[in-house]
Amino acid sequence: MREQHSRPDHLGRRDFLAVTGTALALASAPALAAGQAKRSGEIAAGLSERMLTLDPANHYSISTTSVLRHLFDPLVDVTNDSKFVPALAETWRPVNNTTWRFTLRKGVTFHDGTPFNADSVVFTLRRVQGNAKLIKSFVYQDIESVEKDGDYGVVVTSKRPFGSLPAHLTMLGMLPASAGKNEEAFFQKPIGTGPFRFASWTHGDQIAMTANPTYWKPGIPKVEKVTFRFIPELSTRTAALRAGELQVIDRVTPDLVETLKGTRGVKVLDVPAIEAQRWIFQLGKEPVKDQRLRQAISLAIDRGVIIKELLRGYGRPVDSPVPPGLIGHMTLPPKVYDPEKARQILKQAGYANVSVDIVLMKDFYPKQLEITQAVAAMLGDVGIKLNIKNLEIASAREQRTAGTYDLFFSGWAHMPHDPDWYFGQWFTKAGSEKLTRYANPRVEQLIAEGRVPDAKVRQAKYEELERIVWDEDAEIWLYYTVAIYGVSDRLRNFEARRDYYVLLSDVSIV
Amino acid sequence: MKTYILRRVAQSALTLLGVSVLVFVILRVLPGDPARMLLPDGAPESAVAELNRQLGLREPLIVQYGLFLRSVARGDFGQSFQYRAPALRVVVERLPATVQLTVAAMLVTIAAGVSLGIGTAVRRGTRYDVAGTILAVLGQSLPNFWLGIMLILLFGVALRWLPTSGFAGWTSLVLPAVTLAAFPTALVARLTRSSMLEILNRDYIRTGRAKGLAERSVVLRHALRNAAIPVLTVIGLQIGALLGGAVITESVFAWPGMGKLIVDAIFFRDFPVVQTVLILSATVFVAINLLVDLLYTVIDPRIRYS
Repeated sequence: MREQHSRPDHLGRRDFLAVTGTALALASAPALAAGQAKRSGEIAAGLSERMLTLDPANHYSISTTSVLRHLFDPLVDVTNDSKFVPALAETWRPVNNTTWRFTLRKGVTFHDGTPFNADSVVFTLRRVQGNAKLIKSFVYQDIESVEKDGDYGVVVTSKRPFGSLPAHLTMLGMLPASAGKNEEAFFQKPIGTGPFRFASWTHGDQIAMTANPTYWKPGIPKVEKVTFRFIPELSTRTAALRAGELQVIDRVTPDLVETLKGTRGVKVLDVPAIEAQRWIFQLGKEPVKDQRLRQAISLAIDRGVIIKELLRGYGRPVDSPVPPGLIGHMTLPPKVYDPEKARQILKQAGYANVSVDIVLMKDFYPKQLEITQAVAAMLGDVGIKLNIKNLEIASAREQRTAGTYDLFFSGWAHMPHDPDWYFGQWFTKAGSEKLTRYANPRVEQLIAEGRVPDAKVRQAKYEELERIVWDEDAEIWLYYTVAIYGVSDRLRNFEARRDYYVLLSDVSIV
Repeated sequence: MKTYILRRVAQSALTLLGVSVLVFVILRVLPGDPARMLLPDGAPESAVAELNRQLGLREPLIVQYGLFLRSVARGDFGQSFQYRAPALRVVVERLPATVQLTVAAMLVTIAAGVSLGIGTAVRRGTRYDVAGTILAVLGQSLPNFWLGIMLILLFGVALRWLPTSGFAGWTSLVLPAVTLAAFPTALVARLTRSSMLEILNRDYIRTGRAKGLAERSVVLRHALRNAAIPVLTVIGLQIGALLGGAVITESVFAWPGMGKLIVDAIFFRDFPVVQTVLILSATVFVAINLLVDLLYTVIDPRIRYS
């Protein structure tokens, strides 16, 4: 056996490996420890509404907004209590009534490593404004110009005041300017700045996303993978939650709450939503053109019973057309239930045995048929006959456009946490032309004046106009809805949102 | 024989053309406006009009149909209004799930239906016959929807043996296939039974038994072959029904098949998708029925076509 001399100034291979190994281990220990605290696990969510597109500018679907928020960041985010907070824009301020200036966050990269800067914002905004085929395009038609102000500043000017622009921007994910080269190819594998990266999707069925390790918010996301499955059938969605296949589902109806509460490992979270269920009138047509009849109808409806019995308490009384938390909310005198007064008004106005038609979009809103039938009984009590026409969605909308209805079961979720769209659509002459045919010059003027960026001015204008439409009984505001979610006990930090969004970037799973 | 085949093929082509015209016209005559279904309720009328124009829906009907035929000849079925992707691609994406479900349900139908039919026919009048008939009646009367949800609750939620829904691996195929097969299985079972009973009474069967043939041979080789014709017809028709009519099963199981696709497309007035699915389904249906017709000549030499 040959003698091995270990030379003191030369590390033997074993020693070298031992030292290097230890050094490496020590160096990576903090990263390892942080990594272990950072991300682990997968979350699967079940949404009721199918997602049809990966293009943030080409839809107005709530579920699609939820999902795409994970791939893309908007300039501005909105919290659950309707506060607007920085996302890709650090600040935004109105330079004057028709100009907004945005300062952008630095150090953000897209999923392919390219930097986010003003080019991306200019491209995204010009694209949505200029391409009439995009579903969101009509919202941005008021934009006159979008210009860079350095690499991290953008100035947007509009033809009329656009005070709700930041609110609308919470729903518009920022795209890289390079998407413009080949949009169809881009949207096969989209790239954003969001907390998750696109992995795969099948049209209308499910989408999978993996964590973005270089996301600009530290510690986000908290899981490695997120899958959204689109399951319109409620019983199937709840079965998947109960079987542990999904960890969160949305749009649970009040009658399934007890079943879910009784399931081990599952809990129910609910929150009053920013959505009002309302019956609209065909204001251009007899008999509901007559304000007295509308008032009588309103007095004859016991909203409390609807909330308590039909919705099992999962509803809130409406105190203003704008839900709490949003600009414009106020407390108006409640719409009382007074059938005796309703009968008096009808008698004085000469309405004996009046008959009105209500059109429903089949299966659109939960419990809509039961509620309508209950109200039909209430109206029958005061001498108004309600004919219920439960039609297929497209046909119902046709009738609404044609104006061949008296009442229409409708709703409005105040996306994006701003009432300007609601007022502009339903209470201006142009907006309601093929809807309610509403026309009130004073209200129209107030809506226009309420478009300025100044929040105090907007609040004052909206309060004045709401008093008018409330008194006019322009609509029957039935109740605010309550958003109900089924959530696995394994999830931490899931927030039940008032806007029906399911957001998972800061949710972890055990 | 050759003229028969050629005639049938020509008939099939004409049928398909007729289907395309019917589908095209009906969609555009129905009340309901595609743009209004795609845009949110809060979109102004100008946006609705503009989108309709972009979708090519403002042209006269005959112009729209002509453009449609021309692009179909190139293999282009148009862009889905909902998905803004080629309609053909959207539909083809659904093919694997649809084919798997249809084939699985068909296999269950043939295996379970025919065996149940033979079994009850051979044991006619016994309690096996009664039990089998009750099963068949249940299969035809239990609503698809209810059966599917019950199976999900039992095997998915309570026992956790199988996935509750979705399209992932062969285990997720079991419950939807069984649910979808319930009705056709019952139908095939009852038809097989009555057809078998009719045949088993014939003279040549008695002859076969007198000759000393094994009962098994009598039943399976001789009786079944003769009883097969009406059963085969029904099976052929069921394939067509399965392809298009699986919508309830697909809804309950969140199965990404063509049934749900087309129902959603109809509700949303997604004309290109509806047209694509209907024309493709009609093609498959027509082809299968042509095949069945040709199979008759193989099975029953008595049938001759001039």
